[in-house]
Amino acid sequence: MRIAISDDALAIACGADKLAEAFARAAPDAEIVRTSSWGMQWLEPLVDINGMGFGPATPGDVAAILDGGSDKAIGKIEDHPFIAKQQRLTFARAGKTQPLSLEDYTETGGWVALKKAYEIGPEATIGMVTESGLRGRGGAGFPAGIKWKTVAGAPGDQKYIVCNADEGDSGTFADRMLMEGDPYCLIEGMAIAGHAVGATKGYIYLRSEYPHAIRKMETAIKASAHLVSPFKLEVRVGAGAYVCGEETSLLNSLEGKRGEVRAKPPLPALEGLFGKPTVVNNVLTLAAVPNVLSEGAKAYADYGIGRSRGTMPVQLAGNIKQGGLYEIAFGITLGELVEEIGGGTESGRPIKAVQVGGPLGAYFPPSMFHLPFDYEAFTEAGGLIGHGGIVVFDDTADMLNQAHFAMEFCAVESCGKCTPCRIGAVRGQETLERIRAGGRGAGACEALPQMHNAKSSERSLEDEVVLLTDLCETMKFGSLCALGGFTPYPVMSALTHWPEDFGLEPAS
Amino acid sequence: MGYEPQKDFGTPASRSEKTITLTIDGEKINVPEGTSVMRAAAEMDTHIPKLCATDNIKSFGSCRLCLVEIDDVRGTPASCTTPVANGMAVHTQTPKLQKLRKGVMELYISDHPLDCLTCSANNDCELQDEAAAVGLRDVRYGYEGENHLGLETDSSNPYFDFDPSKCIACSRCVRACDEVQGTYALTIEGRGFGSMVSAGTPIDDFMSSECVSCGACVQACPTATLQEKSVKEIGLPDKSVITTCAYCGVGCTFRAEMRGEQLVRMVPWKDGKANRGHSCVKGRFAWGYANHKERILNPMIRESIDQPWREVSWEEAFSHAASEIQRIQEKYGTRSVGGITSSRCTNEETFLVQKLIRAGFHNNNVDTCARVCHSPTGYGLKTTFGTSAGTQDFDSVEQSDVMLVIGANPTDAHPVFASRMKKRLREGAKLIVIDPRRIDLVRMPHVEAAHHLPLQPGTNVAVLTSLAHVIVTEGLVDEAFIRERCDWDEYQDWARFVSDESHSPEHLEAITKVPAEELRRAARLYATGGKSAIYYGLGVTEHSQGSSTVMAIANLAMATGNIGRPGVGVNPLRGQNNVQGACDMGSFPHELSGYRHVSDRATRKLFEDDWGVTLDPEPGLRIPNMLDAAVDGEFKALYVQGEDILQSDPNTKHVAAGLEAMECVIVHDLFLNETANYAHIFLPGSTFLEKDGTFTNAERRIQLVRKVMEPMNGLQDWEVTQELARAMGLDWNYAHPSQIMDEVARLTPTFAGVSFDRLGELGSIQWPANDATPDGTPVMHETGFVRGKGKFVVTDYVPTDEKTGPRFPLLLTTGRILSQYNVGAQTRRTENSRWHEEDILEMHPSDAENRGLKTGDWTNLASRSGETTLRLLVTDRVAPGVVYTTFHHPATQANVVTTEFSDWATNCPEYKVTAVQISPSNGPSDWQEDYEAHSERARRIEIPESAE
Amino acid sequence: MNSRDNLIYMANQIARNFATLDDAAAANAIAAHIVKYWDPRMRVKIIDSLEQNESKLLPVSRNAVAVLRDTHQSDAP
Repeated sequence: MRIAISDDALAIACGADKLAEAFARAAPDAEIVRTSSWGMQWLEPLVDINGMGFGPATPGDVAAILDGGSDKAIGKIEDHPFIAKQQRLTFARAGKTQPLSLEDYTETGGWVALKKAYEIGPEATIGMVTESGLRGRGGAGFPAGIKWKTVAGAPGDQKYIVCNADEGDSGTFADRMLMEGDPYCLIEGMAIAGHAVGATKGYIYLRSEYPHAIRKMETAIKASAHLVSPFKLEVRVGAGAYVCGEETSLLNSLEGKRGEVRAKPPLPALEGLFGKPTVVNNVLTLAAVPNVLSEGAKAYADYGIGRSRGTMPVQLAGNIKQGGLYEIAFGITLGELVEEIGGGTESGRPIKAVQVGGPLGAYFPPSMFHLPFDYEAFTEAGGLIGHGGIVVFDDTADMLNQAHFAMEFCAVESCGKCTPCRIGAVRGQETLERIRAGGRGAGACEALPQMHNAKSSERSLEDEVVLLTDLCETMKFGSLCALGGFTPYPVMSALTHWPEDFGLEPAS
Repeated sequence: MGYEPQKDFGTPASRSEKTITLTIDGEKINVPEGTSVMRAAAEMDTHIPKLCATDNIKSFGSCRLCLVEIDDVRGTPASCTTPVANGMAVHTQTPKLQKLRKGVMELYISDHPLDCLTCSANNDCELQDEAAAVGLRDVRYGYEGENHLGLETDSSNPYFDFDPSKCIACSRCVRACDEVQGTYALTIEGRGFGSMVSAGTPIDDFMSSECVSCGACVQACPTATLQEKSVKEIGLPDKSVITTCAYCGVGCTFRAEMRGEQLVRMVPWKDGKANRGHSCVKGRFAWGYANHKERILNPMIRESIDQPWREVSWEEAFSHAASEIQRIQEKYGTRSVGGITSSRCTNEETFLVQKLIRAGFHNNNVDTCARVCHSPTGYGLKTTFGTSAGTQDFDSVEQSDVMLVIGANPTDAHPVFASRMKKRLREGAKLIVIDPRRIDLVRMPHVEAAHHLPLQPGTNVAVLTSLAHVIVTEGLVDEAFIRERCDWDEYQDWARFVSDESHSPEHLEAITKVPAEELRRAARLYATGGKSAIYYGLGVTEHSQGSSTVMAIANLAMATGNIGRPGVGVNPLRGQNNVQGACDMGSFPHELSGYRHVSDRATRKLFEDDWGVTLDPEPGLRIPNMLDAAVDGEFKALYVQGEDILQSDPNTKHVAAGLEAMECVIVHDLFLNETANYAHIFLPGSTFLEKDGTFTNAERRIQLVRKVMEPMNGLQDWEVTQELARAMGLDWNYAHPSQIMDEVARLTPTFAGVSFDRLGELGSIQWPANDATPDGTPVMHETGFVRGKGKFVVTDYVPTDEKTGPRFPLLLTTGRILSQYNVGAQTRRTENSRWHEEDILEMHPSDAENRGLKTGDWTNLASRSGETTLRLLVTDRVAPGVVYTTFHHPATQANVVTTEFSDWATNCPEYKVTAVQISPSNGPSDWQEDYEAHSERARRIEIPESAE
Repeated sequence: MNSRDNLIYMANQIARNFATLDDAAAANAIAAHIVKYWDPRMRVKIIDSLEQNESKLLPVSRNAVAVLRDTHQSDAP
C-alpha cells in the first residue's frame, strides 16, 4: 500500500507530520511517501492512497481510512472537479511526485527541456520562449522572451539569472508550493535561462519566511548541480521586507546593500546585479519554461486569450470555501473562479469584495465578476492580475478599514526612498482616520495667529475625500515603484465601489 | 558683485562625443548623449524643480518633484533619471505636473519645521525655493500628523551641525560621502517614514563616526540639516571671491564667501580644475587660524635670544634688519648671510625673496622647504626627463587603468586627489601600493589594492630595480617607445644592469622583505595592465637614495611607454600649496627661476640686465649646509619666510646649534614658531586671505590667490620683502603682485605666457605656457621629452648608513595625518586638533609585547640623535620591526630623533629611516622639558608702557 | 660629526652612488656634481681635505676631488 501525504508547509501546519506518524504506526508495512501538495488546501492534510483521496484527515481518521470506510473520502483525486478542470502545465507534478526525488523528476519528463535547449541553442531557445507568449508571472507581465533577448544581446563578461522568490503578497503561495513541491522544475527553468542568455550563475532570492522552501531548494540544488553544470545556483535569503520583491531593491539586497529601489533606466537587463546584465524573473515564470521547451511554444500559446497566453496558477484564498492552487488558461472569469470553483465564502455569507493581485490589487465587487482573467482586461477595469492571488471578503468587511490597511501596509513596507510613498502612506492613514471621523477642525498649530496663511476653518468629509483622491494621484504618478504606485488601487477601488463605507452617498 | 550661489545642473555632465537633439518646452537643444533631461533643461536655463538631485553625484530619483511629460511616453518620468533621446519632446510645465509637484511638496511640508524666517538656511534652502516654485499655498494634511520634528541636533563636529528635524531624506549627503569623498561614512538607518540619516551605527555621532569632515555632505544638503556653524553664527554671505587653498599641493580652489570683511565659509569651487568642487577638512573649515589670539601683528626685535621681545614699528624693524645684514656681511663676508623662501607664500613673494638675496645680499644662499621634501624630484626628473615637475594633470587619473602608489599616503596627505583616485578605482582600475605601512588605501570601503608590497624602510631602490628586472627579463618593455623617445644605448646599459640575476625579486627578497612572487605579479600588472600611472611622495624622496629612487621610477615609466598621454605618467604628490611654485621661482641655491643653473652665462645676463646688478655665478648653500656653516662660524644671518626649520628639519639639536650660532635670525611668519625661539627680529606675516598672488600646485597649475580682507598685520608679505629690500638700498616699486608675475614671465621662458589677466581669463594655467602652448600644458612630454631623449639612469642600490643594531633595533618612519598639516602651525590653531591632539607612535603587537607595552602607554623613543616621549598605539598596520609617527606637534619634537643622513644628490633628509629603540616611560624626556622651558622664555613679549 | 667630516661623508656618498660607472667616468661625474651643487667654501674645504691626505676619503672620491681641483678651480669666498 502506498500512502502519500504532503510535506508542503501548509499541510504540515494542518498536522500532516503527526498524521504521517500515525499512519506509520497503524500500517507498518505500508510505504508512506511525502509528496508535494495537490493544492486543495481546504482538504489538507490530504491522504492519497493509490489515487483515492481522504481529507482533511486527522490521526483520529487513520483507522477508518485504512478500513476503507472514512467519511473523509473524496473519491479519485484526479476526478475531483477542482483538479479535473485545471490545466496544470507548471504544476503538472503537484501531488504526484516526491519533491526531492531526482528519479521521480526524471521519470515525469524532467531534464528533457534542458536537453532540448542545449540542442537548439540559445537563440532558438529565446525564440521559443518569445513565441509562447510567456509573460512575467510576478505581476509586471512583461514578455519573458524580450527580456531574455535583451540580456543575451547585452555586452558583459558576466551575466546572471535572478529568481524572485520573495512572494510577499498576502494570499499568495504558488511560489512556495512550487519550490517546496517541484524544486527541480525551477532549477531546470533557471538553467535553461542561463544557457539562453549566457549567464553562468543564478541566484534564488527567497524570503526568510519560507524556511521549508529554503531547505528544499538548497538540497535540490546540491543534488542536481552536476546535471546543470556549468550553471551554478545559490539560494540567498531575504530579511523581511516586502519591498525586496521589487526587482531593483531585490538586486540591492542581493548585493548586500539597503533594500532600496533603484531608478530605471538603467534596466536590470542591461545593468543589474553588480552592474551586470541580469534576467530577473518570478518563480512561476521560470518554472513555466521547461514545459514550453518540451511541449513546444505553440502548445503553450494555444492556451489563453488576447495577449495573455498560457496558464496562470491562480491562488484562491481569504474567506473562501475551497481555497487552493488552481492553474488554468487565461480567460476564465473572476466569478467562475470565486463562486463555482472556490465555492463562495467559507462563512457562508454573501461575497462583498474580492481583492486580486495582492495587497496592492484593486477590490472588485460581484458586479464585476464577468471580468476575464487577462492582463489587459484587468488593467482596463482599474485593477491588476499581479501574481494571481485572489482574496475573498464577505459582507462583514469594512472597506474603509481595508483602504486604511492598504495605506498601513505601504507605510510599514516602504523602503523610504521616494517622498510620495514614504510620507504619503502615513498621511494616507491619517486622512482615512479623519474620513472615519467625518472631517476635522483646525489643528492647534493652524489655529495660531502666527500661522497667517494656514486655513483655520473646518475641513469637511468631502474635503478629506478630495485630499485622499489627490494623494492617491500623487502616489500613483509620483512613486518610484509599484509599492507606492499601486497603493491607490485598493484605496480608490474601495472608495469607488463602496462609498457608503466611507460615509458618502452610495453610487447610483 | 553680489552673492550668487553656484549653478547646479542637477546631474553630472556627460563625456560623450555624440550629440543628441531634443525639444524642451518647444525649444530645440543639442546636448551630449547620456545627459539627463533635467540637465539639458538646466543648460537652457529652464529650471525643473528638484530636491534630491545635484550635479556632482549620480541621479537618484527619490524626491519625485522633477517629473516631466514626454510625448509618446507613458506616465510622468523623473527628468533626472531619464536620459535624452533624439527627437524627444519634453514638457516641463503642464497642469498635471503642477498638481503632482504641489502634491509632493505638500507632503514634504507636512513634516518640516515652519519657522523659515529664523532658520540659518533662510534664502539658502532648496526646499524653500521649490515650495515657492510650485506655488504651495495650503498643507491640507495639517501639522498634527506623525513627524520627525523632535529629533535632536548633533553638534559633535566642530565645524557643522546635523539637525535631523529638518532632514528631507533626499540622501544627497549619503551619496556625496560615497561618490565624491569615497569614505562611505553615512547611511540611511531604518526604512519607510522612519528613514534617517546616520553617521555610522545608531550610537555614533558625526565625531565618533568615520566621517573625515570634508564638508561634501554639508555642500550637498539642500536644507539647513547639515550646515556650517559659522553660517549660523554670522549669517549668509553677501559676496564671494574665488581663491586658492593654502594647505597642500592639491591646490583646491574655493569661493571665499564673505560678509563684508568677515569670512563666513569656504565653499569648493565647482569649476576648480584641481579639485572639481571637492575639499577636505583643512581647506574647507580650518581657516580660523588667521584670527587666532596667538597671531603676531606687530614687528618685534630683541638684542639676544634670552631677552623678551620688544614691539617696534615697521620702519624700525626694516632699518634694523638691513643694518644687521650689512654689518654681518662687512664683518664675515658676502657669503655669510642667506635666506629661506616659503613654500606657503605666493610665487610673487617667493620671487622677491630670492631676488632680495641675489640682488641685495649678492649671493646665492637661498633655499626652500622643498629641500626637505621634493628636491630629489627636482633632481631626478630633470635628469631623466628634463623637467623638475610631474608630467600629468589630476584629471589624468580618470583614464588610468593601473595606479602604482609608492611612498605616499594620499588619503591623509592629498585627500581631495585621493577621492578622485578612489573613484577611478571603484570603476575598476587596479592599485599597487608600495609602503612599509598598510596605509588606508590598501583596503578601504570599495577599494582594495591588487598588491601591497610592505618593503623594509630604506629599500626603495632595490624594490624598483627588481620590478625593472621582471619587466625587462619577461619581455614586457615597450620597445617601440624606447627606440623612438629615449637613448637606445643608455637603455641597453640599464636593461643589462637590471637583468642581472642579483637584481631578481628572489635574490633581493632577503633585503626588501617583499615576497618575490607578489612582486613579480605587481610588476606584470604595472607593465601590462593598460595605462599605468605612478604616484609618489615623501616615502620616495626623504631617503639617502631619494634622487635615485625618483630616477628609478622614471626608468620604469619610460621602459613601459607610460609617458606622454593622459592616464599614465610620473606624478610627484607635492606637499605644500606652493612648493612647486617656490622651486619654479628659483628658490634653490643653484638655480634661477625656471631651473636654469646660476653658472649659465646667458641666463645670468638676462637677469643682470633686468635687475641692474651683477649676479654670483657660484651655487649657494643649502639649508643643512647653512646650518653646518653656522656651527663653523661662517654663516651668521638668515631671513626665513614662512618656514619653521626647527620643527620640520631633522636632527633638531643640530638645527638649534646652527641657529644659536647666528647673530641675526629674521623670522617672517604668522606665529611665534619654534625657529622664532632663536630669532632676533620677527616680522609678522599675512595669510592667504590677506594677499593677492598665485600658487602653483602639484599639477604645475598656477592659480590666483585673491585678497578678501586687509592684512591684520598691516602689510602683505610681498610688501614686507619689498620694504626690507628698500631698506637695504634696492629701488623696488612694485604696486601689485601682477607686476611681479610680469617680471617672472619676462625672465622665464616656461612662464612667458602667464599673467594675472590670462589667469583671470582661463581660470588657471599649467606651465609651460609660451608661444608654443599659450593656454598651458596639461600633459607633458607628449611628442618628445623636454630634454630631447629620455635618459635611462642606472640606479644601484646603496643601503643607507642608518643601520639597526642591538641598541636601536627598530626602524622609525614618519608621515602625516588628514586633520593636521605638517608642523601644525595653522591646523593646531583651529578645531582640527580635536581629531589629533598629539602625535602617536604606532608599533606592531609583537614588538609591543616584547617590551610590555600597550596602547595608551607613554613610551620613550630614542635614537642616537636624541630622544622624546610619545603615547603608543599598538597596531598591525606596521610590520614587526617598523614603527611610525607623525610630526604635527612641537611638544613631541619628533625631529629630535631623526638623523643627519640625507639624499646623496640633494641633501633631502632621510626622515623615513631612523634606527630607534622604544621603551616604557614615565613622562616627557629631559630634552622635552628643557625645550618647553626654553620656548616659554623665548616667547615672552614685553608689554610696552602705555603712552599717556 | 664636524663639518669637514660631513663634507667628506657627502663626497663619499656621492661616489657610492656612481659606483656603476668606470673609475674615470665616476670621478668626472662626482666632480661635476660637486661643482654644480656645492658652494665655493665647501669646495675649498674638500680640496683641502685631499691636500691634507684625509684618510676617510674613498679612492674614487680622491680622484674626483683631484679632478675638481685641477679643472674646476673655484674662487675664494
